[in-house]
Amino acid sequence: MCGIAGILFKHDTPELTTGKALINMLDGCQHRGPDSTGFALYEAAHTGQLRLRFFVGEDEETDDSIQRIRQALAEHHATIVEEEVIGNNYRAIVDFTGNLQKFSYAIEHAAKVISIGASLEIVKDVGSADDVDKRYEVNKFQGSHGLGHVRLATESDVKPEASHPFWATGFADIAIVHNGQITNYWKMRRRLERRGFEFTTDNDSELIAVYLADKLSQGITLKAALRTSIDDLDGTFSFLVSTANEIGYAKDRLAAKPMVMYENEDLVAVASEEVSLNRLFPGQALQTKEPLPGTYATWSRSI
Amino acid sequence: MVTIDLAQIPVRDANEQIRNYGEAGEDVEVINPDARHHIGVGLTSPISVHVKGSAGYFCAGLTDQATFYIDNNVGWGLGDNIYSGTVVVGGNAGAIPAIGIRGAEIIIKGNMGSRAGQVMKAGTLLCAGNANFMAGYMLYGGRIIILGDSGERVGEDMTGGEIFVGGKVQDLGSDAKLTDMTEAEHDSVREFLDRYEIPFKGNFQKIVNAGQKLRYGSPERQMRSIPFFTFSGASPYWNPKVQEDIHIKSQSGRYRIRGYGTARALPHLSDLAFAKDLSRINDSADVISKVHMYTEIGGLNGANPLKLSMPVMVSPMSYGALSRSTKHAIGLASAMSDIAENTGEGGMSDAQRSAAKQLIFQCLGGRLGWNIHDMKRADGLEIYISQGAKPGLGGQLMAKKVTKELADIRGIPAGIDLRSPSRHPDILGADDLVIKVEEFREATGYRLPVSVKLGAGRVRDDIKIAVKDGFDFIELDGMQGSTGAGSSEVIDFVGIPTLAAIIEAEEALAEIGRRQDTQIVLMGGMRDGVDAIKGLCLGADAIGFGTSVIIAGGCIACMQCHVGQCVTGIATQDPNHEKRYKPEIEAQNIHRFFESVRWQIAAITHALGYDDVRQLNRGDLVALTPEAAAITGLPYRPVGSESQSEVLAS
Repeated sequence: MCGIAGILFKHDTPELTTGKALINMLDGCQHRGPDSTGFALYEAAHTGQLRLRFFVGEDEETDDSIQRIRQALAEHHATIVEEEVIGNNYRAIVDFTGNLQKFSYAIEHAAKVISIGASLEIVKDVGSADDVDKRYEVNKFQGSHGLGHVRLATESDVKPEASHPFWATGFADIAIVHNGQITNYWKMRRRLERRGFEFTTDNDSELIAVYLADKLSQGITLKAALRTSIDDLDGTFSFLVSTANEIGYAKDRLAAKPMVMYENEDLVAVASEEVSLNRLFPGQALQTKEPLPGTYATWSRSI
Repeated sequence: MVTIDLAQIPVRDANEQIRNYGEAGEDVEVINPDARHHIGVGLTSPISVHVKGSAGYFCAGLTDQATFYIDNNVGWGLGDNIYSGTVVVGGNAGAIPAIGIRGAEIIIKGNMGSRAGQVMKAGTLLCAGNANFMAGYMLYGGRIIILGDSGERVGEDMTGGEIFVGGKVQDLGSDAKLTDMTEAEHDSVREFLDRYEIPFKGNFQKIVNAGQKLRYGSPERQMRSIPFFTFSGASPYWNPKVQEDIHIKSQSGRYRIRGYGTARALPHLSDLAFAKDLSRINDSADVISKVHMYTEIGGLNGANPLKLSMPVMVSPMSYGALSRSTKHAIGLASAMSDIAENTGEGGMSDAQRSAAKQLIFQCLGGRLGWNIHDMKRADGLEIYISQGAKPGLGGQLMAKKVTKELADIRGIPAGIDLRSPSRHPDILGADDLVIKVEEFREATGYRLPVSVKLGAGRVRDDIKIAVKDGFDFIELDGMQGSTGAGSSEVIDFVGIPTLAAIIEAEEALAEIGRRQDTQIVLMGGMRDGVDAIKGLCLGADAIGFGTSVIIAGGCIACMQCHVGQCVTGIATQDPNHEKRYKPEIEAQNIHRFFESVRWQIAAITHALGYDDVRQLNRGDLVALTPEAAAITGLPYRPVGSESQSEVLAS
């Protein structure tokens, strides 16, 4: 039960960073989710390098966790280029050129992975958009696009790892945020698990990320995967997905969860409520659209 | 005309100002609205409010007589439950515009979101653009005019009213049909369009109810009168109840509808006993003066709390299920015992309002009898999510009880088998509920406590959500609770017993460290002060009594509440039956019952060695059965030693 937000800038916009825009949008709908806040952010990719984020906690075991991660990275031929501890995260940039899915699963067995990507970094923690920004300096993220999420935990715990966005484990740079409830979660999860996919939480939204990862791994386009998701996922949902160069949405046929979008020549913004969109344009009446039930779309930056 | 700038002041202050300007007869314009929620909510004066931009959720909601102009878009729930007045939106509207309206004219120049006009009762909703999924869902009355396309499943489960579609009718909903439009209707729609200067040249198609689902195909048969203990059946097999069920189903060919609560033996508070020696219970003559029982409920977040002379209130029971006279008697009795009464579903009568000193107004998904005026004259508000007897299902009121008068109060067609919606149009999740709670607070100036009624089902999760959503208190209703009419199988086999519910609720609050942030009123099968005090020991802040109240007031427990021919005049809307009920006399009987509850609570609290009901705690109880021990985690002490014998009502 949540609020979602997504933005894609069509050109470089020095005055408003993606990080700042998402913080603003989420602050506008924080009432929908006071428990935790998260962001999927994108920075420029460097060939042969991966960005990794892990939860390592903030206690006496933190150092041990970091040691385990370093060891696992070394074992899988990932060379640390840059590393830091920020909030309860350990963040590293590594040189790596092998099979990402195998690497991800192996690393995941050694540590709590938040995201792995060439350009994606997921930042999420308990607290408000403002709290998370203060801890992780979300406002500094430039990038061309990103997603955000505020969460009101209903059936799973209030923990950083149960908050959104979820990374499509094993698939670089793909993240989702979801508002709603997937009612065929266990059925779909077991089906995917039998085929070798792994889940790291009991949160129903993680299913969407893994579902999309499965489709993409079969060479299906994001657009086509969004289309089939509307039939395959049962329940209520408005969700957003982001990849290295695009954002997209899918909305259930029952239109049970809100979603409003706005597009002009500079940007596309999608949010649960218009109040979030208006945070980007104070004092202006926006020509917004509500996506129809059972629809999906993607946008990418035309370069 | 005065200007309110929402870039300068919060919506809460703005609404306070709008209401004050309303009383002074001054029109208002709102600048920099930036799609904020709840603009103008609760306004009941004939002024105009011009929103210069977009508004968020529930704009113009819970209002009467006012005129709203919104230049751009609006969010969900435009004009929620509006009584009369006009709303004109220049842009698009989100989901459920005109939800539950009882009158008014609502004009949307752009497109509108899904479920437009859900549970609408009267008035006109016009959309100049396209409608979305399920426009006119559960429409009870009034008309919806759509100049563009209808969207899918238009008129789904509509009961009354008309839908006129100027564009394409994409797909008809269940129990909706196309029919011819009369000349008069045509003229009336044209007049409406002209009045609002909306150009439209095309023709209309008219959609109405098809009449397939208004009544059960077979009537509910009356049962032989058998006493509750026989009805409940001592043996699990071919007992009189099972036979009765089979006989009735052999005639109706469907599930049974009946009144009252579960007939199954379930773990309950009577499976617990007190841990300490209560043999000195009669040593003190005047226990009531020695024990502090005064309890405030609902004041944690600054609202005016309910002030109860003891931690007891009346559980919600509707005017509809019960007769007007019965609700009157309960109101009188609640005032005599200085506790709170609850309207239940279906509206508030003047007699009930004046009889009850403190009255909670219950608000349900069907918006049956809701209105801003009754909300404002209540002492507390309650959002009903579900009830213990039939968690997850809506109420049933069989045709016999849906009289003309009752139908008028509820805003529905008379003589239908009313199956109330099981969910609120605007509460599809905890996130929507946050915004709804805030709407109630805005509409009543943050004066009234807002509670949620939860039928025990997914207690652990639901309680956490209720606290996060900021409710002032929670009414938690266990499986032993009763209903005026429900499916027999559901009453007997669906739900979580009251005993398990309170335990799960307390554990859930402890898990998130939020026990101090809410209060729990426990209900569901409470029979006396002994049950009540055990509930208090387990953590409840107050206890709700329902069935025992009507029994105290003359109910003979024949379990035929649904039939509508209650011989005692309680569960009926038939004047010939109701005239047997003497409210003044029954009020005294109910009052005396409450005083017996008061004495029991005082006597046991005192005998446990306390002088305040708030000192009661889990350590005062033990479990008499393995089931109760497993549910509660209390020590299992099956053998009734003298010191553990239960105190019975005197």
